[in-house]
Amino acid sequence: MSSARVKPLPPELVAVPRKHVWHGARAVAEAVRIADVDVIAAYPIRPYTGVMNAIAQMIADGQMMAELIVADSEHTQFEVAKHASTVGARTFVGSSGVGMIFATEAIIVTALAQCPVVALAGCRALDDPGNFGMEWNDVLTYRDYGWMISWPMSPQEALDATIVAFRVSEDPRVLLPTFVAVDGATVTHISGPVLAPDEKRIREGFLPPYKPPYPLDPDFGPVTKAQHVAPSLIGPEQRKCIDVAMKRAYKEVIPEAWKLYNEVAGRDYKPFVESWFMEDAKYALVTMGAYTINAIAAAKRMREKGVKVGVVRSRYMRPFPYIELRQALENVESVGVLDFSFSFGSPYSGGVLYTELKSALYEADVRPLITNFLFLGGREPSVGHFVKAVEIIQKYAELKRVEKNVHWLTLKGEDI
Amino acid sequence: MSEEILFKTIKEIPPVDYYVSGRRTCAGCGPALGYKLVAKAAGPKTILLGPTGCMYVANAHQFLTSPYALPWYHAQLGGGGAAGLGTAAGLRALMTKGKRKKEDINVVVYGGDGGFADIGLAGLSGALTYDYPRLLFVLYDNEAYANTGVQASSTTPWGAYTTFTPWGKIKRIGNDRLKKNVALIAAAHPGIRYVATACVSYPLDLMNKVRKALNAGGPTLIHLLVPCPKGWFFDAKDTVKVGRLAVETGMWALWEYDHGKFRLTVKPAQRKPVKEYMRLQGRFANLADEDIEYVQKLVDQEWKYWEEMDKLGKLILPWAR
Repeated sequence: MSSARVKPLPPELVAVPRKHVWHGARAVAEAVRIADVDVIAAYPIRPYTGVMNAIAQMIADGQMMAELIVADSEHTQFEVAKHASTVGARTFVGSSGVGMIFATEAIIVTALAQCPVVALAGCRALDDPGNFGMEWNDVLTYRDYGWMISWPMSPQEALDATIVAFRVSEDPRVLLPTFVAVDGATVTHISGPVLAPDEKRIREGFLPPYKPPYPLDPDFGPVTKAQHVAPSLIGPEQRKCIDVAMKRAYKEVIPEAWKLYNEVAGRDYKPFVESWFMEDAKYALVTMGAYTINAIAAAKRMREKGVKVGVVRSRYMRPFPYIELRQALENVESVGVLDFSFSFGSPYSGGVLYTELKSALYEADVRPLITNFLFLGGREPSVGHFVKAVEIIQKYAELKRVEKNVHWLTLKGEDI
Repeated sequence: MSEEILFKTIKEIPPVDYYVSGRRTCAGCGPALGYKLVAKAAGPKTILLGPTGCMYVANAHQFLTSPYALPWYHAQLGGGGAAGLGTAAGLRALMTKGKRKKEDINVVVYGGDGGFADIGLAGLSGALTYDYPRLLFVLYDNEAYANTGVQASSTTPWGAYTTFTPWGKIKRIGNDRLKKNVALIAAAHPGIRYVATACVSYPLDLMNKVRKALNAGGPTLIHLLVPCPKGWFFDAKDTVKVGRLAVETGMWALWEYDHGKFRLTVKPAQRKPVKEYMRLQGRFANLADEDIEYVQKLVDQEWKYWEEMDKLGKLILPWAR
């Protein structure tokens, strides 16, 4: 209906792509639609469920065409995705928390069989007790099994990272599955402005249909895959293949993919590591995921007080960008790792990101002091906690030694 | 259902095999014989999937050989149902979207009793609620976990010795659970088009059931009894004989449930005593005559139901007491 008092928008304004206000789960669903995924397997557990809700609605509305399997368990879910991938279908799956752990067997063989499945991990604390706060330990359980793990920080980036994950996973030099790990609630359920790339440009210029080198198809011929074989025949060689694929992903495929994606979708991502206020920083907070924003806010606050602090964020956990992180931290004196993961009984009783970063910086020319700040059990930290972290690493820099390696900042009671 | 897809005599069976040499199964292996017959009946446009089990472990291992002249892929022990579902879904998605030529392709999941009666039962059941045509689950039942030694499964018959259900100084009989009938569980899925039981000793019956199942228009299940010389402790030359005795004594009923209609496909005129079947196998060696009498009583009772069902053409639950 037109009204004489409302002027039509000028055409150049209409042509500008509009931002949507989507929460992270909805944004990832959009990526799945744009990627023209063939088979999707769903089984509910929050906070990941929203992705499948949105996908199911899109299919019901005729906006995308895919086989949506409503599975009977997470184990079935991940097996369905793996087997659909063997015939050449592009597949998407996902889960959270203990549900994902139930699928562990299927998750591990997906990587060892080099099926390029893409899965969304809506990070959630593990049971017991039932806890729906955010923690990274569910997806970090799969740190060591050949899955790539990318860690977007916002709904916008979750969409972009999902599309890029398909391209990297399906690259014949890689053929490894990817977890897009989004922080439960803080990305999955937080709405923000999202700009979806043009579907046609992506499908034509970035993401061609998946063509497996040896599909399971009678027309292709008899292929026997993943059969029982003596370790003396291909044991270490098979593992080496995964290692080489992961190295290729790190050195070649992921940087290439993000460069091309930036061109096609009009984005400006660095492939592995992002930095804020790092030009003259003496101290740095190292993060992954959604709470990077809080870390930046804390850094800003401290900068106003004249404290030279910056923020470094890793966009991937696997492959772990150890070279880029080393470069980003080469001039700082003291580093604080903000960690939502934990490894009981690990060196200094610290988090996983902390242990990884410490190991990455062992080869650095000048090693900074490293302190771990833990946010465990799903309790939400505030900017104040991160400010506290900056104050602590500043103090350690002045002392020139770390007094206490690991701090549980949101803990009630004594941190012993 | 077209009659052309069925074999009328042994002579009509094509000479070509899709499950060939290059394996290390035991002498007289029932499951291997089943594999051969099922693959032969399914034909060249077939994808085979194998959940972990003795047929996974024994069909390769040395020298990187493969006995499958068809595409074959491993599924996790509990993932047989999901594997069939995923493969069928992948094929249908690619065909509907024009990414692959449209064609009838069979997906046959050949899984053991451990895989389908125990750990993978939920996945199997889930898959049977879908509508993918040409998706067949063959539960090859050698009544134990035969790739890990011989351990009891929920289809191990009452009284049988396995390493998990041994007899000892104070325990006279082996397994004290009754055998689970997975075919009846499958038949309880509303909308299921075809379910059957079969035995490798009746090859024509088995192969025709495979053909019917693949053409039934939805996911189907065949519960296939396969004698196992190693696990059942009988002479390797007697595989077919033991299978025949299972049917002739009534220990294993051959039936099909075709689009809601029940039928016994092999009816033993005069059932032989179960003793003939049980005394041939070492796994029942410790049973006294009274134990065998007990089994005979169970079988007699069950058969009243099978015969009644055959007469009515309908399913009744034989264990509803």
